[in-house]
Amino acid sequence: MIETPQPEVDDIAAHQAATPSVGFLARLRGVVRRLFSSRLDKSAGRIRFIALAMAVAYLGIGVRLVALGVSHDPPQMLKAAADQAVSGARPDLLDRNGEILATDVKTMSVFAEPRRIIDKDEAVELITAVLPDVDAKELRERLSSKKGFVWVKRQVTAKEQQEIFHLGLPGVGFLPENKRVYPNGSIGAHVIGFVDKDNVGIAGMEKYLDEQSLTDPHVPGFVVDQAALKPVRLSLDLRATHALRDELAAGMVRFKAKAAAGAIMDVTTGEVIALESLPDFDPNDPGEFIKDPTRINRVNVGVYEMGSTFKALTLAMALESGKVTLNSRIDARESLRYGHFTIHDFHATHRVLTVPEVFTHSSNIGSARMALMVGVEGHQAFLRKMGQLDRLRTEVPESAEPLVPKRWGELNTMTIAFGQGLNVAPLQAMMAVAALVNGGNLMTPTFLVRDEADALSGSRRVVSPQTSESMRYLMRANATHGSAGFANIPGYYVGGKTGTADKIINGRYSQDKVFTTFMAIAPADKPKYLYLVMYDEPQGLPEDGGYHTAAHNAGRTTGSLVERVEPLEGVPPADHFPDQPFPILARLGLGGDADRVGKE
Amino acid sequence: MWRLLHFIAIAALIGSAAYVYSVKYQTIYASEEIVKTRHLIAKERDAINLLRAEYAHLTRPDRLQALADSQLDMQPLALNQIVKAEDLPEPGPKVDSIGRKLESLGLLGESATPSAGVTGATPALR
Repeated sequence: MIETPQPEVDDIAAHQAATPSVGFLARLRGVVRRLFSSRLDKSAGRIRFIALAMAVAYLGIGVRLVALGVSHDPPQMLKAAADQAVSGARPDLLDRNGEILATDVKTMSVFAEPRRIIDKDEAVELITAVLPDVDAKELRERLSSKKGFVWVKRQVTAKEQQEIFHLGLPGVGFLPENKRVYPNGSIGAHVIGFVDKDNVGIAGMEKYLDEQSLTDPHVPGFVVDQAALKPVRLSLDLRATHALRDELAAGMVRFKAKAAAGAIMDVTTGEVIALESLPDFDPNDPGEFIKDPTRINRVNVGVYEMGSTFKALTLAMALESGKVTLNSRIDARESLRYGHFTIHDFHATHRVLTVPEVFTHSSNIGSARMALMVGVEGHQAFLRKMGQLDRLRTEVPESAEPLVPKRWGELNTMTIAFGQGLNVAPLQAMMAVAALVNGGNLMTPTFLVRDEADALSGSRRVVSPQTSESMRYLMRANATHGSAGFANIPGYYVGGKTGTADKIINGRYSQDKVFTTFMAIAPADKPKYLYLVMYDEPQGLPEDGGYHTAAHNAGRTTGSLVERVEPLEGVPPADHFPDQPFPILARLGLGGDADRVGKE
Repeated sequence: MWRLLHFIAIAALIGSAAYVYSVKYQTIYASEEIVKTRHLIAKERDAINLLRAEYAHLTRPDRLQALADSQLDMQPLALNQIVKAEDLPEPGPKVDSIGRKLESLGLLGESATPSAGVTGATPALR
């Protein structure tokens, strides 16, 4: 950048020529001195030159910036399109013990850039030769589109990838993708849910993950690595869920039922430990679920008349209102008439019953009378407080609105008292029963792990501890003297309630088609788990005298379930009865030992 | 004097340029290595993930149950087979039967074998 004016050089050259005697060293010194010398009178020009050069340089940078800003860089576009198209990463779903319920594995997918393919017909021919399951006509259509990016086939095998690679087609490439796999197949499928081809959650907890933005946000240039996503732990216990599914499947075959469903809930936290609804589906191949409406999640989405299990709510309401105590007597001598309707008892006793007997004999008349004591308003208010009249929403997005009678008169209250005329989701009924037995705290069921303190802080007191203890007492009495005997597994102090609802066929209650439910608590003195088992249209077995009531099918299944799941959850069988199972009742002189409730 | 300084300056300039050049190339090499290692790690992680999924698939409860039913001669756990640790009977007093035999043979006295003493590898008797 140093300007060396010509005359100066001549000057020095002349000077050097004039003194030839000066040696080489001196000449070199002169050259060096000339290199480092500067003349102030020339500096103005130099500064101007530098300023000009700087201006040119900055102008160049500016032009380049504008050019970059307005230009479309083709490779960048492809990358963005690929980022959009590639299945995003999802966090692993684990069960409460850390077993994998759903995870991502990397697979390769074949894509094409139609604009860069030279001979489309040849490309289609070659590709369909290697991938015979790709439809040639459809592929030709896709390759003829104006798009910059199309999928040829998602999730190819390593062999297929090699073969496509060896075709050497320009404009055809591979992208690694995430493929969701469910290693346990159908176990817990209704809770886990499934994803579509683009790894977007469609049902169950998979959909919940997307709703909570726990998955890859799928914004161009913002691809999240799978390792960065924290696994989500569900409340499900894989082993207990398998046990439930296994028992239900066996029961469905044994009782020739159309469908079966069940759930296990931790009543102290509201966590759902297991949930199954059969027939079910394999989330790895959810097509059969989408096509077949009988595969719905009956526990969350189905709404049913819960039958006699609903009597637990009626009795709790009556006890809570103070209008009856465990020692009260209810007249069940004659069928109850209302207008031209008559309410009968299935196991008619034709006598005055005590409150525990109303429960153990499952007296419709007794329950209806108790509900009438509280009245229509009070009944509605209580059921609303128990969450039975509103849609129950949990993390699993599938839910159903209960079917509540539009005009709710005294007759409705009487029938709802014994479980007819109000259809609720079974999970909803479980939530209420859990609140009745856990000391009176209503907590929304959850499918995520939750500890007791969290559950309590989010709960609402619905009945007093005394009413709750009375309910536990009644359920225990029903296991020893009532219809829940099949579930009375020694060592676990089980309590339970059966429910057999006649199904409505063509607007009439059918006599031979029933919907049976069974709810059990273990242990009844300090419940931890609430079991629910339901069968749709079970058939009576000859060895049971052809009875298809809940005790024979749902009750039996619950019994084997208790026997199988309690040890799995680390609860050993107790070798003696609890010393003081119902302390409040004992202090009040009510009830006493549930195992000694007389049949009189 | 100034000229010498200028020389030193030029030499330093060339030297530092050469140094920067070499450092730059080392950096490029190192970052290439990092990228390669990252790819390797990602590949290993994917492989681990795949193996985890495979393991979970092979140990799924319904498969294990089917295998146990067909291959093992075992019956389902009965509740009376579950016992609490504190309910286990007390073990009887330890009997050193070998020692007793040696004693009866009169061989328990001092032997000529030097004692090995307490070594780390031998678990101490409780």
